[in-house]
Amino acid sequence: MSEEPIKVFRAKKIVTMDPTMPNATAIAVQGDRIVGIGDSDDVSQWDAQEFDTSFEDHVLFPGFIEAHSHVMSGALWEFPYVGFYERVDPRGNVWEGCRDVESVLERLTRYEKDVGDSDDTLIAWGLDPIFLQGERLVANHLDQVSTTRPIFVLHASGHLATVNSEMMRRSGIDRHTPTPGVARNALSEPNGELQEPAAMSLAVNGLSSIWTAIMSPEAKWNYASEARNCGVTTIADLGTTPLTMEGQLEAWREATDQTNYPARVVVAFGHHDSGGSPADIDGLATLAVRLRDEEETAKLRFGIVKLILDGSIQGFTARLSPPYYVDPPQGHPGNGLWLIPPEQMPQIVSSYHRAGLTVHCHCNGDEASQVFIDAVEAALIEHPRDDHRHTVQHSQLTTTPQYQKMSELGMNANIFSNHIFYWGDQHAARTVGEDRAAAMDACATAERENVKFSIHSDSPITPMSQLHTMWCAVNRKTASGRTLGPNERISIHKALQACTIDAAHQLQMDNEIGSLEVGKLADFSVLASDPYEVPSEELKDIQVWGTVVGGIVHQAASE
Amino acid sequence: MGDLSQTAMEMTVIGGYLGAGKTTLLNHILTQAQEPVAVLINDFGDINIDDELIESADENTISLSNGCICCSLADGYSRALQEIKVRQPRPKRLVIEASGVADPAAIAAYGHAPGLYLNAVVVVLDGANAEQQLSDSMVGQTVANQIAAADLIVLNKRDLVDDPSAIWSELKGLNSEAMIVECTHSQINLNVLFGSQVTKRSLAPKTMGRFESRSHISDIPISRKALIDLIEQLPEEVQRAKGVLRIDEEPEIPMVFQLVGRKWDLRALAERKNPPIGNQIVVVGPEGSVPENWDKVLKLQEA
Repeated sequence: MSEEPIKVFRAKKIVTMDPTMPNATAIAVQGDRIVGIGDSDDVSQWDAQEFDTSFEDHVLFPGFIEAHSHVMSGALWEFPYVGFYERVDPRGNVWEGCRDVESVLERLTRYEKDVGDSDDTLIAWGLDPIFLQGERLVANHLDQVSTTRPIFVLHASGHLATVNSEMMRRSGIDRHTPTPGVARNALSEPNGELQEPAAMSLAVNGLSSIWTAIMSPEAKWNYASEARNCGVTTIADLGTTPLTMEGQLEAWREATDQTNYPARVVVAFGHHDSGGSPADIDGLATLAVRLRDEEETAKLRFGIVKLILDGSIQGFTARLSPPYYVDPPQGHPGNGLWLIPPEQMPQIVSSYHRAGLTVHCHCNGDEASQVFIDAVEAALIEHPRDDHRHTVQHSQLTTTPQYQKMSELGMNANIFSNHIFYWGDQHAARTVGEDRAAAMDACATAERENVKFSIHSDSPITPMSQLHTMWCAVNRKTASGRTLGPNERISIHKALQACTIDAAHQLQMDNEIGSLEVGKLADFSVLASDPYEVPSEELKDIQVWGTVVGGIVHQAASE
Repeated sequence: MGDLSQTAMEMTVIGGYLGAGKTTLLNHILTQAQEPVAVLINDFGDINIDDELIESADENTISLSNGCICCSLADGYSRALQEIKVRQPRPKRLVIEASGVADPAAIAAYGHAPGLYLNAVVVVLDGANAEQQLSDSMVGQTVANQIAAADLIVLNKRDLVDDPSAIWSELKGLNSEAMIVECTHSQINLNVLFGSQVTKRSLAPKTMGRFESRSHISDIPISRKALIDLIEQLPEEVQRAKGVLRIDEEPEIPMVFQLVGRKWDLRALAERKNPPIGNQIVVVGPEGSVPENWDKVLKLQEA
C-alpha cells in the first residue's frame, strides 16, 4: 500500500490555538492528519508532493466547533423561511427577514408556485409574530396566497402554527372542533392559529411533513452544508436523532461516510428516547457505549447523552430561583416547568456516569443548573471518575457560586451567548429583569472560575454562525443595539478558544481537533480576515471562504 | 341508536407525581377491567401482572387474557396509538399514563382528535405526602398544576393518613370542582373512573362501595337549558355522568358530555364518520343515590 501524498497548504496566517506554536504560515497534511506545521523555512522537511496556495490571502483557524445544534436546522431548509431575522440557507442564499405580514405573504406567494402537486402542502417556518408590525397573521391572510392549496406556517417557537382555510377544510377543523388550542375569532370560528402540539397535529401533513424532513438524508447534508458555510467543521446534534429508531444510525453512516460530506458530527443520544424507566436508562446507556466503542468513524461520533431538565426563559418555562420572573404573561404559574422530576436526576445522571458516558444537560434556569450540579456531585461521590466533562448546556442563568462548584467538580459549560442579541432586550424588560439579564450567559464568570466553556447557537433556534456567536460573547449587544452586562464580555481570544479547543474538550475530541498540531485531524476554518485584527464589532462580518475537513477542501456556498 | 364506541375510542389520562400510585392504578385497571382497555405506560418494567393473566408479551406490548393490552410509550405516543388503532378488536378505552412531571391537560388535549374522545383527567395523589409535596419549593407548583388540571382526584394511600381534612381543604382550594375519591393501593372503583359499567359488579370488592348506574336514551335533540337543569338537579352523591347527545341548536353535531364531580364539559365529537345518533346519557352514583325519575327534565322536554 503506497503512502498517501503529503500536501502543504500555505496561508497568509495560520492561528493554531496551540500555545506552544500560536502562529504558522504553512501546514502539511497527509490523508486526514496534520503531519507538519511551521513557516516556509520548515516546508523542506516535509517531503511534500503537492502545494495548495489557494489560501495565501486567507487566515486558517482550527475548524470551528458548534457543540449544541440540531439536525432539524438542515431539515427546515426544505421549506421557505419567513422569520424576522436574516438567515443564510445551506446553498448560501441570503433570506432577508420578513419585517411585516405583507412580506410574509409575498414570500409565500413566490414559493407557492414551486410546490409540486396542487394537493401538496406549502410549509414555511420561522414566523415570529411578536416582532411583526400590524395585525396578527391568520388564515384570512394566508388565503391571499392560496385558497386551493393547504398552507402550514410553523412559528419560530415551535409551539404554534398558522394554517389557511383550505388546510382547515381538509383537516376538518371548523367551529365544532373540540381540541383546545384551536384559536378562534370573535365569531367563535377558528382563525387558523393552532397552539401547542395537540392542536397543531390536527393539520394533516403539517408537523408530520416536518418530522419526515428531519429524518431525511437531505437534512443531514443541509446541516453539514450550513456548518461549512460558517466555517464549522464539527457539529453536535444534541439529542434530535432518535438513534433507537431503526435506520437512523445507518442514515447517519451513509451521509458521513461520503468523502464530500463536509463535517464531523457528534450525535448525542436523547435521554427522552429512553422511556424513562431505570431498565430503559441502562439499556440506552449500554447502546450509547456500544455505538461509541464499535460504530464510530472518522466523521461520526457518539458518547454523549443529552438530558432536558427545564424549559426556555423566553417561553417563561425555565426553572428559576426566587424572585422568579419579572413580568410573566397572565395565568403564568409563577415558575417554569420540569421536564424530568428533580429527585430522579441523581439516579439518571448516576446511571450514565457509571456507564462512562458524558452527560450534557439542558439547564436554562439557575434552579435547573443547581439540580444538575447536585446530581453530578452525588454521582461523583458514589462513583469517583476523573475527567467526565459533564456539561451544563445553555447555562444561561448559572450563578457565580454554581460556576465555582462546577469548577471543583470538573464540569464544563456550553453557554447560549446568541440569546444576548436575539432576546436580550426581552430578558431585561420582561423575563428576568435588568440585573439578572446583565449577568446571564456569563462567559466572563465561567472564565474567572476556571470552567471550560463553549458557546453555541442551538440552531435552528438561532442561526448557526460561530463568528456571530463569538461576536455576541465579545460585545454583548442586543438587537436594539445596547450593551447588556458589559462585565460579562470576554476577549476575542477567549471566544475563539470557546469555539475551538475548549469545545473540542467538551466533546471529548481535544486529542483530535480544536487546535492545529501535528497528529491532529486536518480540520480548518478558512477566513478572509483575521479575527484578532478586525474591530470586535466586525467579528460577525468576517467572510468565511469555507473549510477543510480531514484534508478535503470545502468551499462555502454563496449566492 | 349508534354506539359511540363504534365511532371513537375513549381516552383517559392518568397523571400524578412520582410515587403517587399511578402504576398501581394502571395494574388495577388492566387486571380488573371486564372489557378491553388499552393502557399506554411510561415505566413498562414496573408493570406487574400475574403470569396466568398474560396471554403474550414482547418488548413493547403485553396482551392479557381479559382482552386488555399494555403498551410502552418508549417509542412515543403516536406510535403506541398507531399500534392500538389497528388491533382487532379495537379496544374501546384508552388509558394514558402521564409522566410524573407532565401537565396531564396537555396530553388530554390529544383526546379530542378525530377517532378519540376524552373521558377524564385523573390525577393520583400520595395522600401521605401530598401536603409536603405541595409545599416543596422545587415540585410544589408541578403538583399543584396537576391537581388543578384534574377532573377526578384519586386521594391514594388513605390508610396512611389519620385525618384527611387538611388535604381535602387544600385540594378544594386548588380545584373546587373536581371529584375527589379516597382509596388505598389505588383500588378505585372502575365504574367511577370510567363513568359506566366496566367491572362486573360481583367482582368489585366490597371495600370499593357499590355503585349503580342509570341511563337515558332518546332520539329527540335536547336543549342546553334542559341539560343544565338536569346537572343542577342531580343528587350530590352522583358525581359521575356521561353521554353522547344532540343539542337542539345544532342537532347535526354529536356532542360528548362528561360530568366528574361538579366539573362538566360538553363539546363536539371530533370524529364525523359513523356518528352515533340520538341521546344516551348514563349517571353513576352510590347504590340507592340515583332516583328513578332522575331524567325527568329530559323527558318533559321530549314530551
